[in-house]
Amino acid sequence: MRKGLILLGLAAALAAGTVLARQPPEKLPATRIRDLHYGDVLFYFYQEDDFEAITRLNAYEHWGLLPHHEAESQLLLGGLYLSLGLHNEAGARFETLLTPTVPTGVRNRAWFYLAKIWYARGYLDKAEHAIRQVQGALPPELDAEKQHLFANILMRQGRFDEAVQLLLHWKGPLDWMAYAQFNLGVALVREGKLAEADPFLTQVGTLKTTRAELLALKDRANLALGFAYLQSNQPAKAKPVLERVRLNGPYSNKALLGAGWAEAALGDYSQALSPWMELRNRNLLDAAVQESYLSVPYAFGKLNASAQAAEYYESAVKSFDDESAKLDEAIGRIRSGHMLDALLTSEKDTHYGWFWQLTTLPDAPESRYLYAVLAGHDFQEGLKNYRDLAYMGRTLDRWGDSIEAFGDMVDTREKAYAQRLPRADALLASDSLTDKQHRRDEMTSRLNTIESGAEVAALGSPQEREQWAQIQKLEAALAGASDNEENAALRDRLRLVKGVLYFRLNAAFKGRLWQERRTVRDLDAALAEAQIRWIRVEKARKSAPTSTGDFAQRIASLRQRIDALQARLASVREKQNGYLADLAVRELEAQKDRLATYQIQARYALASMYDRAANPPEGKP
Amino acid sequence: MLAFACAAAAAAPPYALAGREAPDFALRAALGPTLRLSEHRGEVVVLSFWGSHCGPCGAQLAALNRSLKTYESAGLTVLGVGVDDDAVRSKEFAAAQPVTFPLLLDPKKAVARLYRVDNLPMTLLIDRGGTVRFVHRDYDARSDALYLDELRKLLNE
Amino acid sequence: MRFLTLAAALAVLASPTWAQDAVAQPPAATPAVAPAAAPAAPATDTRGLDQEVQDLKKDVVDLNRDLFVLEEDLLFPANTQVAVFVSLDVGDFFALDSVELKIDQKEVANYLYTPREAEALLKGGVHRLYLGNLKVGSHELVALFSGKGPNERDYQRGATLKFDKGIGAKYLELKINDRQRKQQPEFEIKDWE
Repeated sequence: MRKGLILLGLAAALAAGTVLARQPPEKLPATRIRDLHYGDVLFYFYQEDDFEAITRLNAYEHWGLLPHHEAESQLLLGGLYLSLGLHNEAGARFETLLTPTVPTGVRNRAWFYLAKIWYARGYLDKAEHAIRQVQGALPPELDAEKQHLFANILMRQGRFDEAVQLLLHWKGPLDWMAYAQFNLGVALVREGKLAEADPFLTQVGTLKTTRAELLALKDRANLALGFAYLQSNQPAKAKPVLERVRLNGPYSNKALLGAGWAEAALGDYSQALSPWMELRNRNLLDAAVQESYLSVPYAFGKLNASAQAAEYYESAVKSFDDESAKLDEAIGRIRSGHMLDALLTSEKDTHYGWFWQLTTLPDAPESRYLYAVLAGHDFQEGLKNYRDLAYMGRTLDRWGDSIEAFGDMVDTREKAYAQRLPRADALLASDSLTDKQHRRDEMTSRLNTIESGAEVAALGSPQEREQWAQIQKLEAALAGASDNEENAALRDRLRLVKGVLYFRLNAAFKGRLWQERRTVRDLDAALAEAQIRWIRVEKARKSAPTSTGDFAQRIASLRQRIDALQARLASVREKQNGYLADLAVRELEAQKDRLATYQIQARYALASMYDRAANPPEGKP
Repeated sequence: MLAFACAAAAAAPPYALAGREAPDFALRAALGPTLRLSEHRGEVVVLSFWGSHCGPCGAQLAALNRSLKTYESAGLTVLGVGVDDDAVRSKEFAAAQPVTFPLLLDPKKAVARLYRVDNLPMTLLIDRGGTVRFVHRDYDARSDALYLDELRKLLNE
Repeated sequence: MRFLTLAAALAVLASPTWAQDAVAQPPAATPAVAPAAAPAAPATDTRGLDQEVQDLKKDVVDLNRDLFVLEEDLLFPANTQVAVFVSLDVGDFFALDSVELKIDQKEVANYLYTPREAEALLKGGVHRLYLGNLKVGSHELVALFSGKGPNERDYQRGATLKFDKGIGAKYLELKINDRQRKQQPEFEIKDWE
C-alpha cells in the first residue's frame, strides 16, 4: 500500500515585524497639547492621513513650532516613517531618543521600534540587543508585541528552548501569545520536533474565541498539526485534529484532503471517499480540490471499483486540460498588460478595476486565482508601495498647479516693487520727516520761551500783534521826545492804549498757550505715526529685492524637483507594476505546473489501468 | 444667479473644470453624517447634481444606484448633491429616492457654484486622484452606455 | 484592533503552501515526486526595486515639506500671519457639527465637520481652521459653533474676542470644553500671546 506522501508547506510567515500598529501616538505622561501645531499634526494622524501628518510635522519642526513636544515628535515621526517603509529614516529618528535626557517611557518605545526595524532587515543580534534595552514594561499591547518579537528572534536563531521558556512565562494580552505559540509550533515541526510542537499547536487549535482572525489562526494551527501527524505516519492522531478545522473556512479544503488521507492511511478507503467526494465538488482552482480529482479515483482503485476509477481519471484529465487552457490565456493577458480582463470575463459584462483596488473580490469563479496571488507577503508589500507611490504622484500633481500660481504671485510682486521702489527711494531720500521733526522741535522751544518769558504779545492775533508793534514804535518815538504838555498827553494816551491791549493779551494768554501746545501734541501724534510708517517703508525697501529674489529662486528649484520626481515616480510605478505582474504570472505558472503534474499522473494511472485491463497479469509484476 | 434648465442642453460649451482638480467641499446629508469630498480620494467618485423640481433627476439617480451595486467593490463612490431653493422640498425629494448612496444638500448653492452647475441633472466623474474627467449634462437612457464605459475606464486605473 | 488584523493577515498568509506539496501518488509505480519548492522571492531584483522605491518615497516626503513651507512663507509670512485653531475637550457625548468664524465682521471660515474629523478632535487633535493675514493693530474675532449633545440635543454657542496683532504670527485657539458644567459644552477663546 502506497501512502500518499504529503509534504506540508509550512511556510508559516512569521508575523511581520515591519508593521506599525495604528496605536495612538504614545500616550506619554503629558499628552496635553502644549503647542497648537502639534495638535494640528495629530488631527491628521488620527484620521490616518499619514502623509499629511509627516509633511506638517516636518514643516513645523523646520519653523521651530514644536518646542514642547520634541521627544513625542521624534517618536511619532519615526512611527510614520516606519509605516511608509522608510526604515532608515525611522531608525534615525528613534536613535535620537536614546539619550538619558529623554524620559524612560519614550526611550523604551524607541528601542522597541528599533528592534522591529532591525528584525525586519535581518539583523537578529541588533534586534535582540535592542529588545533587551527596554527597561520595565511597555503598555500592555506593545509589551505583548515585544514578547512576540523576541520569540520570533529566538526562533529564527534556532533557540527554541528559550522561546519555549518565554512562552511559558508570558504576561499580558493573549492574542499575541497565540501567534507566538503558532509560530513556535510550526518552527518545531520543521525541526522535526513534533512531540514538543503538539502542546503549543493544540493550545492554539482549541482556543475559545469568536474573533475572525483568531478563528483563522486556530484553523491554521489544527491544519499544521494534523498534517504534521500525517507526515510522521500517525494518522490516528491526525484525524481528530483535522476535524477541528471549520468546514466552511478558508482552510476547509485542505482539511478535507488531509482527513481523507488519514482514513486512507488507516486503510479505510471508503471512509476516505467521504471527505474527498465532498472536496471534489468544490472549485477546481483550489489545489486541494485538484488533488481530490486524483485521490478519488485512487480510492476507487483501492476498493477495486475499476470502472469508476477509470471514469474519474478521465474526468480529471479533461478538467485539468480545460483549466490549463484558461491559465494559459490568463498568463498571456497578464504578460500583455491586460491582467484583469481575462481573469474576470464571464457571462456578465463585469469589468473591474485593477484587482488590487478591490477590497472584496467579485464573485466570479476565476477570481480564485487572485486569492493566492493577493495573499503573498511580497505582493502585499509591493501593492502597498504601488498605492503609496500613486498617492504621492497625485499630491505632486496638485503641487505642480499651485507652484505655477506661486510663480505668478512672485512675478506680480516683483513688478509691483519695480513700480513702487523708485517712489519709496525718493521719499526716503527726501528729508521731509526729519525736516518736520525739526520744525516741531523749534515750535516747542519757541513756546517754552514764550511761556517762561510771559510774552503775551507773541500769541496775539495778527491785528493785536500789529497794534502792539505800532505801540512799541510810538513808545520808542516818544521816548526821545521833549517833555512838553502835548507829548505828556500823548504818552498818557499811549500808556492807556497799551494797558488795555496788554490786559486783553494777558487774559487770553493762558488759553492761547494751551491751544498752541495742543496743536503741537496733535502734530506729535501725526509725526509718530509717520515715523512708524517710515520705518516700515525703510524695512520693506531693504528687504524687497532680496525677498522676492529668494522666493523666485525657491520656486524655480522646487519646480525642478517636482518635475524630476514625477518622472521617477512614473518610472518606478511602471517597474512596480511589472513586478506585481511578474508575481502574478509566477503564481499562475506554478499552478499550471502543478496541474501538469497531476495531469501526467492521471494519464499514467489511466494508462496503467487500461493496460492491466487489457493484459491481466499472470502473477505479480 | 444660476439658471437651471431641465431640458437637454444644446451644444454645450466645454466644461470649465474638465481636467482640473475637483474642488473640495463638505456638505450635510439629508440622511446621515456630513461628508467631505477629499475623504474619498483613491476611489472613483461620481458626483450628481439634482433638484427636486427636475424630472429626469430621479431616473438619473436610479441609474447611478444600479451602477453602484455593480462596481462598489471595485472602488466606486456615488454622491448626490441637491440644489434647491426650498430646503423642505429638497429633503422630501431626497427621502423619497430609493438609493443607497448619500444625498447631500446644498441649500446655499455654494457647491453648485463651485462646480459651475448650469443644468440639472449634471453628473461628473472624478478619478481616483481627484481630477474631473467626464461630465454629463442631462440624462437619458442612451447616455447610460457611455457612462458605464467611462466608469470602467476610471475604475481600471 | 487594526494592527492585529494586519499582523494576522501576514501571519496567516504564507506564500501559497500548496505549491510546496507533493502530489498524492496513485497506485502506479512512479516513486514520490519531490515537490518543487515554492519559487523564492526574486532576491536581488526586489532589493534593487525596493531600495529605489524607498529612496523615491523619501525624496517625495522631503519635497512635500519644502513645498508646504514655501506656500506658507509666501502666502502667510510670519509677521502678518494669524492662525485660528479649534480644539475639543469634552466627553464623547458631543458631536461637533460646524464652526463659523468672522474677523472684523467678515466671514472667513465656515467649516462642516465630518464624523471622521470630529472623532480626530475628540481624540485630542487640534484643527487649524483658518490661516490668514492681518495688519498690525486691533481686531475683533467672532466665533460660533454648533453640534449635538446627549439625547440629540442641539447646541449652539458663540464667543468673541478683541485682540491686538503685533509684529509676528498670532495664534488663537477656539476651545470647546465642558469644564464649567459637565456635558454642556461652552466656548472659550485663548490668545496664545
